[in-house]
Amino acid sequence: MPAVSVAHLAKSYGTIHAVRDVGFEVERGEVFALLGPNGAGKTTTIEILEGFRPRDAGEVDVLGFDPGDRRTQRRLRSRLGIVLQELAVEPFFSVRQVLSRSAGLYPNARPVDEVIGLVGLSEKSDARVKTLSGGQQRRLDVGLGIIGNPDLLFLDEPTTGLDPSGRRASWDLVRQLADEGTTVILTTHYMDEVEALADQVAVLADGKIVASGTPSSIGGRDVGTATIRFRLPDDVSADDLPVPSRSASGGEMEIRTEQELPVLHALIDWALGRGIELPGLTVNRVTLEDVYLRLTKSPDAETEREVS
Amino acid sequence: MSNATAPPAAPTPPASRSIPWSDLRLVGRQVRYEQLAFWLNPIGAIFTLGFSVVFLVLLGASAGSSRVSFLGHIKLIQYYVPGFVAYGIMAACFNVLAITLVNRREMGLLKRLRLSPLPTWALLAAIFISTLILAFIQVVVLLAIGVWGFGVHLPADFAPFVVAVVIGALSFTALGVAMSTLIPNQDAAGPVTSIVFFVLLFLSGLWFPLQSGSGLAQFSSWFPVRHFITAVFTPFDVRPGVSPWAWHDLAVVALWGVIGCIVAVRRFRWTPRRV
Repeated sequence: MPAVSVAHLAKSYGTIHAVRDVGFEVERGEVFALLGPNGAGKTTTIEILEGFRPRDAGEVDVLGFDPGDRRTQRRLRSRLGIVLQELAVEPFFSVRQVLSRSAGLYPNARPVDEVIGLVGLSEKSDARVKTLSGGQQRRLDVGLGIIGNPDLLFLDEPTTGLDPSGRRASWDLVRQLADEGTTVILTTHYMDEVEALADQVAVLADGKIVASGTPSSIGGRDVGTATIRFRLPDDVSADDLPVPSRSASGGEMEIRTEQELPVLHALIDWALGRGIELPGLTVNRVTLEDVYLRLTKSPDAETEREVS
Repeated sequence: MSNATAPPAAPTPPASRSIPWSDLRLVGRQVRYEQLAFWLNPIGAIFTLGFSVVFLVLLGASAGSSRVSFLGHIKLIQYYVPGFVAYGIMAACFNVLAITLVNRREMGLLKRLRLSPLPTWALLAAIFISTLILAFIQVVVLLAIGVWGFGVHLPADFAPFVVAVVIGALSFTALGVAMSTLIPNQDAAGPVTSIVFFVLLFLSGLWFPLQSGSGLAQFSSWFPVRHFITAVFTPFDVRPGVSPWAWHDLAVVALWGVIGCIVAVRRFRWTPRRV
């Protein structure tokens, strides 16, 4: 049984259809990324799954519960972990006080010291929250998300504001949690984060799911055109190349092809035969970011429509 | 662990398991947390508790022995002590509560707690109980200063005083919640609440008793602050033949409390008001 299954989910605010006919499934222990521009319906969808917001229509099952059912809401919430975008902590408490307080709300909480260690705040466990750096506060946020030992963890832009090493540490933590069987639903604007973490991706645009699949195949990434780029030495003319090419930015040559292996073979044979180098040689499929931007291009260019 | 037959490393507990701790203990824990949150913030603590104590002592020392002609020449301190008791209750229940709620809402703390297994009623109960504890502490401290510092006469019958304090605390708690729903963001919370509060305090005769019938008294009689001060003072009114029950004033305070409840219930929200 999947950890989360959603079918034909719909929610309107007045005349605005925030979410319509959304459906997806998340398997247990999977990292699922929900992408989309601001106002696409991500927050609404996630808040419905969390039981924070009622839905207008559709079937939703989260860990075997209906999140809209008030009678079971508390039992469901004791198994959810939620990392919000904002740091929601009293500034005068210490790290340990904040985590102990939250631990007391969950029947099956992780030991406070274990969580402090997991999020790398051991040095700061007695520091007041307001003295922490932005990245440390973000890590405390993640700690609050996992203190209840959740079966399902919602991560809302978990690495925004973190430095590169902080991001790597957070990714490692998410992978570790997923390996232990925690299901993770992630929203993010970083495509490298999606590629690093997500098993499955769904892209929301204008309240609808416009594509879903694995990060490497979504939007036809695995079949499209490849782009080969390189620089030619100054004394070699582009007319001598064995395959048609064109000049790209930065003085590079660019070859677009759907058969990159034969083309590369011809190119490299030619270069080796002439004894020349091809500096900066790269082969790229379309990037996840390209796919994302193409999928979410909106005709009416509504970028901000966050309704709460 | 009560279940000795369970395998030692069961990864997920069964879904049917119930929450093992009692709800009342949960509320108790939250009240403790609320108190900690208040006392760990020195500015908040000083502003609420310290302010009423400092003003009562200053006013009492400088003007406490002068007599109020239109109150049967009773000593001014006999008016100041109940006045600042009323102030302390309003500061805790209205001012501090409104600012705290706005800050928590805009920080996302209310949403986070709403999304935790803590039941909503337990969260709200803890906030209100904690507010009443702060009010109670103020009442005790101010009465003690009044009696031992300035020789104020306590009411012969404490019932009217207790009734006034309870009705006021509940009404101003409702108004505090209502006020928080009218404030758009954290930056506005302190200034807006304090301006509303202190202007009403000034107009309502906290620093000097108002002669009934004066323009100021008529204006301030539309608002609950003056009525609450009067209702708390009346049991302290040592003039012979004065009833200690200020029913009219208590009714106005309670009416405002009802209005506060309606606004609070209609407009209360858990999420930040950010655009």
